[in-house]
Amino acid sequence: MQSGRQMSTADTARTGMSLNICHLYPDILNLYGDNGNIICMKQRLQWRGIDCSVSGLSVGDRLNAADYDIFFIGGGQDFEQDVLLDDAEKNKKADILSAIDDEKVFLAICGGYQILGNYYRTWDGQQMDFMGCIDISTEGVKERMIGNYMFTCDDLGGETIVGFENHSGKTYLGSGVKPIGRVLAGYGNNGEDGTEGAHYKNVYASYSHGSMLPKNPKFCDLLLSRALEKKYGRVVLEELDDVFENNAHDYMQKRLSSR
Amino acid sequence: MKLKVMMAVCVCKMTRTLIRLLGRGATNMPGRAAQKICPDLLKYLAADVTTIIVTGTNGKTTTSRMLEQTLKDSGVDFFCNKSGANLLNGVTTEFAVNASLTGKPKHPYALIESDEAAFKLIGKYTDPKCVLVTNVFRDQLDRYGEITHTLNNIKIGLENSPHAAVCLNADCSLTASLKESIPNEIIFYGVNGPIYKERVREASDAPYCIHCKHEYTYEYITFGHLGKYHCDNCGYSRPEPDIAVSRTIVSDATHSEIEIDVRGTKYQATIDLPGGYNIYNGVAAVTVADTLGLSVDTAIGALRTFECGFGRMEKFMLGDTQTRMILIKNPAGCNQVLNFLGNISEDSLFVVCLNDNYADGTDISWIWDVDFEVLSKVGDRLTGILVSGIRADDMAMRFKYAGIPAEKIKVIKDYEKLIDEFTSQEAPVYIMPTYTAMMDLRAIVSKKYGYKNFWE
Repeated sequence: MQSGRQMSTADTARTGMSLNICHLYPDILNLYGDNGNIICMKQRLQWRGIDCSVSGLSVGDRLNAADYDIFFIGGGQDFEQDVLLDDAEKNKKADILSAIDDEKVFLAICGGYQILGNYYRTWDGQQMDFMGCIDISTEGVKERMIGNYMFTCDDLGGETIVGFENHSGKTYLGSGVKPIGRVLAGYGNNGEDGTEGAHYKNVYASYSHGSMLPKNPKFCDLLLSRALEKKYGRVVLEELDDVFENNAHDYMQKRLSSR
Repeated sequence: MKLKVMMAVCVCKMTRTLIRLLGRGATNMPGRAAQKICPDLLKYLAADVTTIIVTGTNGKTTTSRMLEQTLKDSGVDFFCNKSGANLLNGVTTEFAVNASLTGKPKHPYALIESDEAAFKLIGKYTDPKCVLVTNVFRDQLDRYGEITHTLNNIKIGLENSPHAAVCLNADCSLTASLKESIPNEIIFYGVNGPIYKERVREASDAPYCIHCKHEYTYEYITFGHLGKYHCDNCGYSRPEPDIAVSRTIVSDATHSEIEIDVRGTKYQATIDLPGGYNIYNGVAAVTVADTLGLSVDTAIGALRTFECGFGRMEKFMLGDTQTRMILIKNPAGCNQVLNFLGNISEDSLFVVCLNDNYADGTDISWIWDVDFEVLSKVGDRLTGILVSGIRADDMAMRFKYAGIPAEKIKVIKDYEKLIDEFTSQEAPVYIMPTYTAMMDLRAIVSKKYGYKNFWE
């Protein structure tokens, strides 16, 4: 087995580049291992000698979007969602909108995905208005869509992404929003139109837990490349030895393909 | 009705004997078969039995084993559901096996470990005399959906147990809130101060007040979201426990020494397992014993001598290799295991087996909420990590991202080869399997080394 490169602390700044990640609501939207996406991004940057800082911003904190290159919002439970919706509207929304428009990179998972959209309508007709930062909306249904699933990633020439979904909301994409790709196994956005996730400018949103990024290293590198390109102009990311990641990815791809 | 009960009991006993003859466990299927004949069989079998129920996310099995020792030492005539058969089928099987062919109980008392969701019906059918709720943590969210659903399931079970004295963990803001939903007699227990000098980084499963959703402030945290919480907005706060750990004297890699205050009287206790979570299990067991009117001295003695349930830190020799098996299920439990593994003093080998069957939880995302990064600080004392189970590849990848050097991580999916590998080296071995991986490993180890089968 080949060994991954071990970076010394002297190496971490050898490229002179750095990315700042803003983790929104890390203490509330942290239910399904989505923190793994932060770990993945940070490691894959540091292994390449690119510095990485992660700042957690929660209820009551003002957001200055210009300070950050990548924004991450994870999933949580309904119980705590309204704690943050009020704060999101007052303290975060304006900066999030300008960051999206400025083509900063966003990764939003599950609950984070939903609240970036227009609204969530429950199965008995109650509507919760969300941030309206991307043109998607969600209808709640009684049956949960749960399980390992797999979908294509159009930006990666159809490479597959494998993950785990667990949601009772059916999300529908508005006209200006593309999906990340098409569902190959499982439900995806709504179990109806075969789409999964949302892609708008440099915002990527998905229902995928897993966590999403670790066993989809090419997708992680896509996000990192976009963020670096925005900050430094075109950057070619050094290739990493992804034996572990590819084994994990390929095992699930095989398992989901044989159904 | 009587005839139906008799037939169901008969089917249950026959099925169980048959399956055991074939060398399998037979904890759930007999109950399932019996319920086809008599769906609420448990209600009939439990009618003349005084039942004690232990439920909650973490600590059910260990606390049950502590209570089992206490009941034995107190001379109580009882039976219990071993080997973690804590769903309705398993509990029904246990009651049927401990009844005559006509359904009369052979023992007047039952100590039953109950899954949180299954507690709704198990409580209803057994009408327990005492219920213990250990804690509520995130666990198997693919089954439960959300933590508040777990809490709600327990609440319904308690509503179905109108005659029970209910022992609640005061330090768990979720568990303690159950008091408000039920008219039962409540006995609180807890720990009156921090346990660890340094703790792993971990997320709280309940940072916001269950009543008004403001953020809790804590005077101290023992681990996870457990501790002395207070909501500055609505005033909801940790209730004063009736029975509490007043001092943690020692808490190391093999055991804990604590002082327990039982309504003003102080007792010294030794708990034969490491970790803060076992301190909670210990004081929970003492609380139940006291509630049942048993001798506190006997309960405290049991903490030192009880046999921990299989996979709960049990120690055994495989050839010349010293092995400990510790079940992992969810971030909170796994983080507590790491709290003490991160402090081991001798060179050790770790083995982690990750399955994603239904009983393990099908969503393995939880491994990213566990602070495995502490293992990279163990440095050279960690001789290596062997990774196995259905989702070994994901687990190996997790360790890589946790900062473990790639050459220390080895994936061995075949259990025979895995056992050969770790028994062919000299360092003590810590095996951390998820539930079904533990069952599989246990079966192979039993066959290879002649250990008693898990259902004995």
